[in-house]
Amino acid sequence: MFALPEKESRAPSTCPGPASTQDLDSNCGDGLERECSRKPDQKLPELYGVGDPTAGFSSNSSHLSSRGGIIKWFWDSAEAGYRTYHMDEYDEDKNPSGIINLGTSENKLCFDLLSKRLSQSDMLRVEPALLQYPDWRGHLFLREEVARFLSFYCKSPVPLQAENVVVLNGCASVFSALATVLCEVGEAFLIPAPYYGAITQHVCLYGNVRLVSVYLDSEVTGPDTRPFQLTVEKLEMALQGANSQGIKVKGLILINPQNPLGDIYSPAELQNFLEFAKRHELHVMVDEVYMLSVFEESVGYRSVLSLERLPDPQRTHVMWATSKDFGMSGLRFGTLYTENRDVATAVASLCRYHGLSGLVQHQMAQLLRDRDWINQVYLPENHARLKAAHTYVAGELRALGIPFLSRGAGFFIWADLRKYLPEGSFEEERRLWRRFLDHKVLVSFGKAFECKEPGWFRLVFSDKAHRLCLAISADWP
Amino acid sequence: MDETRDGEGSSQPVEAKTKAQGMSHQSDVLPCDQLRDQVIGNQSSHTQLMETLLHLRQTVDDCITQLTTRPPQLDLPLEEQRHNQATGEQEAFLRRVVNLLQSGAMWGLGLQAPRPTLGPRDDAGGGQQAQLSRQLDQLVHQLSHLEVAFVSHDLSNRGIDISAFERSKFQDFKTYQGDKYHEDKNTMGFINLGVSENKLCTDLMTERLSRSDMNHLEDALLQYSDQRGQPFLREEVARFLTYYCKSPARLDPENVVVLSGCCSVFSALATVLCDPGEALLTPTPFFGGLVMGSYLYSKVELMPVHLDSEITDGSARPFQLTVDKLEQALLEATLKGKKVRGLLLINPQNPLGDVYSRDSLEEYLEFAKRYNLHVIIDELYMLSVFDDSVTFHSVLSMESLPDPNRTHMIWGTSKDFGISGFRFGALYTHNKEVASAVSSFGFLNGISGITQYKLCRLLQDREWIDKVYLPTNHSRLKAAHRYITNKLKALKIPFLNRGSGLYVWMNLKEYLQPCTFEEELLLHHRFLGNKLILSPGKTYMCKEPGWFRLIFSDKPLPLKLAMHRFYEVLAEQKRDLRVKQLEDPQKE
Repeated sequence: MFALPEKESRAPSTCPGPASTQDLDSNCGDGLERECSRKPDQKLPELYGVGDPTAGFSSNSSHLSSRGGIIKWFWDSAEAGYRTYHMDEYDEDKNPSGIINLGTSENKLCFDLLSKRLSQSDMLRVEPALLQYPDWRGHLFLREEVARFLSFYCKSPVPLQAENVVVLNGCASVFSALATVLCEVGEAFLIPAPYYGAITQHVCLYGNVRLVSVYLDSEVTGPDTRPFQLTVEKLEMALQGANSQGIKVKGLILINPQNPLGDIYSPAELQNFLEFAKRHELHVMVDEVYMLSVFEESVGYRSVLSLERLPDPQRTHVMWATSKDFGMSGLRFGTLYTENRDVATAVASLCRYHGLSGLVQHQMAQLLRDRDWINQVYLPENHARLKAAHTYVAGELRALGIPFLSRGAGFFIWADLRKYLPEGSFEEERRLWRRFLDHKVLVSFGKAFECKEPGWFRLVFSDKAHRLCLAISADWP
Repeated sequence: MDETRDGEGSSQPVEAKTKAQGMSHQSDVLPCDQLRDQVIGNQSSHTQLMETLLHLRQTVDDCITQLTTRPPQLDLPLEEQRHNQATGEQEAFLRRVVNLLQSGAMWGLGLQAPRPTLGPRDDAGGGQQAQLSRQLDQLVHQLSHLEVAFVSHDLSNRGIDISAFERSKFQDFKTYQGDKYHEDKNTMGFINLGVSENKLCTDLMTERLSRSDMNHLEDALLQYSDQRGQPFLREEVARFLTYYCKSPARLDPENVVVLSGCCSVFSALATVLCDPGEALLTPTPFFGGLVMGSYLYSKVELMPVHLDSEITDGSARPFQLTVDKLEQALLEATLKGKKVRGLLLINPQNPLGDVYSRDSLEEYLEFAKRYNLHVIIDELYMLSVFDDSVTFHSVLSMESLPDPNRTHMIWGTSKDFGISGFRFGALYTHNKEVASAVSSFGFLNGISGITQYKLCRLLQDREWIDKVYLPTNHSRLKAAHRYITNKLKALKIPFLNRGSGLYVWMNLKEYLQPCTFEEELLLHHRFLGNKLILSPGKTYMCKEPGWFRLIFSDKPLPLKLAMHRFYEVLAEQKRDLRVKQLEDPQKE
């Protein structure tokens, strides 16, 4: 699994150097968005980078296989900061001086609404069929509900089909399964960076698939109209670069709304990216896990499923989950929508590893079915709370004179703390992150998102007001 | 463990003793029309086609094994790399062809094939004809599916493997799902005694899970948790196992990792213990779902330790596992150049129902220690030992483990609590490295917080488990087992009588003539034709044809009907054999 040809993956100008051993105790800053980090190599302008999470690692375990050693290393490297947090978690009564987590992207604003809804009697049904082996793709009643739900909220021009839906235990699993059935060992997906770093691990653990970062720039240059803008040109360059290194790229991952930028792709942009993929026969995986968390009404979000005509429907795979939009990351419910029956069948074959309880499947179907509650209670309230929390944190950052990006979607603000790094290095970035942790605030640093510029941090604002106040009022550098 | 859906034998590595003819390796182009003609027009070529395909598959498998076991390509000069790539592509194509043929065509053919040999049936009539035409439709449908898949370039080679493997069973399962037996609504539907599920206590379980204590909700349950599983659940699992496995010392929650089902636990374990192409030894016959389980994601192979139904020197019972056999299998694997990393044991065994004595267990563990092998021990049926005279010894009950750092135990609630739909499996290991590495999969194979809470409540309720659930479950299992074994005795069918598990391992050799795996498969399809699903021994990598596993943990009504259908098929088979016997001497 990890027998990657190392020569290829360490092309001098493009690839970050190998992880050094001192990185072993490092942390990405987001306990759950686990990603190993590497020493920076900033000498040449980088347009793309080939990820090789395993570079420079050698296992010395007598009990684990060589890939097992690397898998454990993933665990260890992520654990450190997360463990610190867990050992000293903030609790308003029991541990008011504990660490506040602005690192993990979770929506903690609507538990009251959810808890009430999930406790209603329709949720509590137990019947024998739910206790036995299901159809591996997910119970039909749930797949039908997902198809109806996505048809409605993604504004699909035609009703979506339950046959195209596969239900898994979270989007991480969808990434893992897709990587495995679409790529051979060592092949790659393109992904615009900065990106949600945990995907590196999702596609690597079982699938041993790599990510080629399409580096985006904070500076607005050329035809760009906004910082970190993705263009077809950048995609083309990265693809060419990867190809020239002998890396076979099989697909493109798009996160829309984007994490950590909060960017939303316009229908025209989406169309262009999809056309690019079609030209090169690339699969496109569109992660729309934040699609209902667009809290700014002026932002016109469009799901890929809303497009009149997909350039390459057989190679377009959409994923969504309740983790973010319904603030239930612990529920482990994710879904794949693809018109490609081969892909759906292959992913379904792996569902024996990624199944979720029949009782939870029932609950999810009930939840998604309750359009009244979603439209009249949950979404308006959730958006209002997200907006309020965002306004608060954004205001505080402005007061501190910290530049940031935020586009009215998602749970996070992408903050520019470069002015606090005199040398502008990733070491400094890490030290600053550590300093936050020492001051009892857990945030995520840009390196964890494969951002090529040191100094960017992601702050999650979807938390209760008192925790936010405490976190923000903690000493700033 | 998750069951293979139907017990179809197509998943098994095939020992190809076939003479390949007709299709050479160069025949890249297999016109679909030609294939269709062959399939529909010429039933008698069925076996031949199948054999050819199996042979081709075997050849390709060998090539690919060779390819994958080669050292990493980075040392090779570029040209050679290119050559390899080209060969790889060719082979991939071939493999694609073969997989698709095998998966799609065999299933359709398999159902079709026995029909022409049928004698006049008692219940034959319009129904049968309708059935035949339905099957024909199905076949045509599958062929059209085949053609579509044929031109699909969207999947990776491993994706194609994964898909092809599942497709055959998928189709089978779909047919079953669409025509399931139901007490009132569909008494003519398929009765599934192939999938190992305990349906005897759904009343108790439904009642327990409906109590209000199950419905607690707190924010932590809806948020990301410790990847190893919620601490409250790991603590409860440790307490539960300490008690029910009779562990001499209290088990440590830090050694527990919970994932979405035992398949996930096994897959994660296999991945972190073995590199691709490395192998685990396992006594066969054994539950076959893991074979694919280990191969699909982790590319770990299983090396069978073939056990014998005959009692020979050194063994006291049929299919007995001995250290000699383990030694021999290990030696053979090593000679074949296979790197064996561990030993996989199932206790109570599936499908034999064997329960290992403390001494045997100790011997196996000592054997593993001698060769630095990991031992993965699956105790999924540990609370389903319903015969009071049988004593189960969990590996966790041992005073001292020979090699604690290489001993890993798997348990789940699927079988013992009859809730396979819960998707819960637990690993217990003293090895912190292994526990950490497996925990990395917590994201990909995690369990819903709500489910974790319910499981915790369930495992906590010792009073209910000990006084209500287990006694009732055991007495119902016992009754169902008695019912089935009495029927088998009346039919003079030999079987292993073991008092554990949900299944009976029986010998239907009498009904095969000649006694081959082809005949076994035909008999299997004959059962299917009569709406009864059993699992043929080939699914369990049994080396002797004629064995079947029958699940008895179903309600009395379907069980009774199933045995009626079982009897019908065997009577019919017997008649056909007699006719065949009478005809044969005339031919000579």
